Amino acid sequence: MPTNTYDAIVIGSGISGGWAAKELTEKGLKTIMLERGENIEHIKDYVNANKGPWEFPHRGGRTQKMIEDYPVLKRDYPLNETNLNYWTNEKDAPYTEVKRFDWFRGYHVGGRSLMWGRQSYRWADVDFEANAKDGIATDWPIRYKDLHDWYGYAERFAGISGNKDGLAILPDGDFMPPMDMNVVEKDVQKRFKDFYKDTRHFVIGRTANITVPHNNRTNCQYRNKCWLGCPFGAYFSTQSATLPAAMATGNLTVRPWSIVTKIIYDKDTKKAKGVEILDAETNKTYEFFAKIVFVNASALNSAWVLMNSATDVWEGGLGSSSGELGHNLMDHHLGVGAGGRIEGFEDKYTFGRRANGIYIPRYRNLNGEKRDYIRGFGYQGGGSRQGWGRDIAELNIGGEFKDAMSEPGSWTFGMGGFGETLPYHENRAYLDKTKKDKWGLPVLAIDAECKDNERKMRIDMMNDAKEMLEKAGVKDVQSYTTDPVLGRGIHEMGTARMGRDPKTSVLNGNNQVWDAKNVFVTDGAAMTSAACQNPSLTYMALTARAADFAVKELKKGNI
Amino acid sequence: MNRRIAIRNMALILGSAAVLPSCLGDKNNSKPIVELKHLQLNGDEQQLVANLAETILPKTDTPGAKDLNLHLFAFKMIDDCMNKQQQDDFKAGLKAFADAADAKYKKSFNDCTVAERTAFVNEAEKDIKDKAKDDAKMLTFYQTVKQQTVFGYTTSQYFMTKQVVYELVPGRYNAMYPAAKKEAV
Repeated sequence: MPTNTYDAIVIGSGISGGWAAKELTEKGLKTIMLERGENIEHIKDYVNANKGPWEFPHRGGRTQKMIEDYPVLKRDYPLNETNLNYWTNEKDAPYTEVKRFDWFRGYHVGGRSLMWGRQSYRWADVDFEANAKDGIATDWPIRYKDLHDWYGYAERFAGISGNKDGLAILPDGDFMPPMDMNVVEKDVQKRFKDFYKDTRHFVIGRTANITVPHNNRTNCQYRNKCWLGCPFGAYFSTQSATLPAAMATGNLTVRPWSIVTKIIYDKDTKKAKGVEILDAETNKTYEFFAKIVFVNASALNSAWVLMNSATDVWEGGLGSSSGELGHNLMDHHLGVGAGGRIEGFEDKYTFGRRANGIYIPRYRNLNGEKRDYIRGFGYQGGGSRQGWGRDIAELNIGGEFKDAMSEPGSWTFGMGGFGETLPYHENRAYLDKTKKDKWGLPVLAIDAECKDNERKMRIDMMNDAKEMLEKAGVKDVQSYTTDPVLGRGIHEMGTARMGRDPKTSVLNGNNQVWDAKNVFVTDGAAMTSAACQNPSLTYMALTARAADFAVKELKKGNI
Repeated sequence: MNRRIAIRNMALILGSAAVLPSCLGDKNNSKPIVELKHLQLNGDEQQLVANLAETILPKTDTPGAKDLNLHLFAFKMIDDCMNKQQQDDFKAGLKAFADAADAKYKKSFNDCTVAERTAFVNEAEKDIKDKAKDDAKMLTFYQTVKQQTVFGYTTSQYFMTKQVVYELVPGRYNAMYPAAKKEAV
């Protein structure tokens, strides 16, 4: 019996890795969770969480030094001084962009569960049936009914607040009480409903912020500082939710600074024996052994681990026999929407900072409609009142100008689209053996782009946003669009897709790697299509379902 | 807490957070208020920015830009967050601004009275609105100082706790809050 032996290994500690660790340990498996980055301890290490805005020297802005150090992160909102330590050091861990791909990573315990957007939506039947109906890519091996109970299980544990809206396109879940819409959102919702009746819907966002106390976690305090780490544990993260549950079993070992370099594959048994890691601090190599391996390193890095594994059997790595490993890379395309001004409601304001907004679920290409593209998009947005520091037209300078700054400005309403990206075989990531990271490991090359279908969809995404806001009474509506860049949605998916046939997919309907039945991939890599809803809740449900299956198979002696 | 004491404490806190005053020799007429890493300004130039900030947000019955060290905040932002080109443009714009004031009043902006400074800045505001003058660098310089002064003011502890209400932990969301009670966001 070799040392370093466990029942299960979980690679990665983000949303899906945390869930895998919780489920496997609760089912009695001695489990080690391997995280490539540093440990971040719940509450204690949320170093900026209790600072006032004025305590940040640049008030949350970005310095030239930060811009130089983070050439990718600087491309969008995540680069700021308040949570810089949660984002991956790009110089240590570079990647190759064959085409521009904004890859925003978090290498630490908790991964991006600490910084995620928390919007949590079920997918519907139409999403799981989409590839089959459109005759593209490959069919999902599961349907909504297969995940239905697991969605509920995930929601009840994670704590998702939302309203039961009764929509087929956006199935209701086991929600905590919803957050409130503000006065302007309620008004826009009413006009929206008057015009669109039941053809389009305007609902409060469903978010993984708890609105009632839950599992020793305090309900949301409306600080809207989630991305700093929540001292109340009010939003779902590995640290606030899955890790404490897994630790409570006594079955979990967490090992930070553990870069998994490969899964050790046994040709005779056609199963994985364990994994090899590189200690990121000491550069020493270690092996860990287990009966099952869950790969939850995030879509692109899970593909990287598989590509580096069993290369003596398959040149392209473990799971590459189908020719699909690393391919079909998807994201949600965004950066398109509209906004405008709301008249009235000057006597109303909001108190508390709600870390949530409104959601307009998909309505295109449903019920027989056929646009010049397939699939659809949803919108996220909200109403807010302009604060101080706004431009005050009548006043230029002086004492009155100073006083006017403490008066609230006018109400505005804005929203942005999240569009489905199709799974294109040629959108892919592969090992770039010409470039090495700080640890001498080959980096990923990413070659993916939005295509015709996404570009056509974006025209609707922009025009519909303007039209809907105008119908809903918003004034001076301005629409906007940008050149679509993949990665920017931070919803990477598809690089080890599920399917019905080992010839066209990497995983089966239980997230098992066809080529190694005791290896499971349950993060974004597993996704066969992208839908347009935020995907993390689906990863949670898939992970819980796969863990349940894995343990049953283990007990039956099948793996 | 007594408001004056609070403000004084605030000034101390802000002051101590800022860069230490320089003890290095003067390159020009007067000693810089602070030594910056990238943006090289002499004492007169720094004073001009401080006086300009005070003209934009003057002391009234509430503290002004100088009381709140907003000029130090502006220096820090410009020094750390702007690139070389933007900093060069800022310096060129500052010189153009100083020269224009010299030409108009036959004395430096720093030596002008509050009324003269105010009149001069109001003219710059008018030029921006009317797009009357083609002195882009001077106006960009002015707008940069104004932007940072206002940003520094509205994100200062004084403003967020004394002028409006800021709660680190609101604890609840009131979607129909009366606007008369101001809350910081």
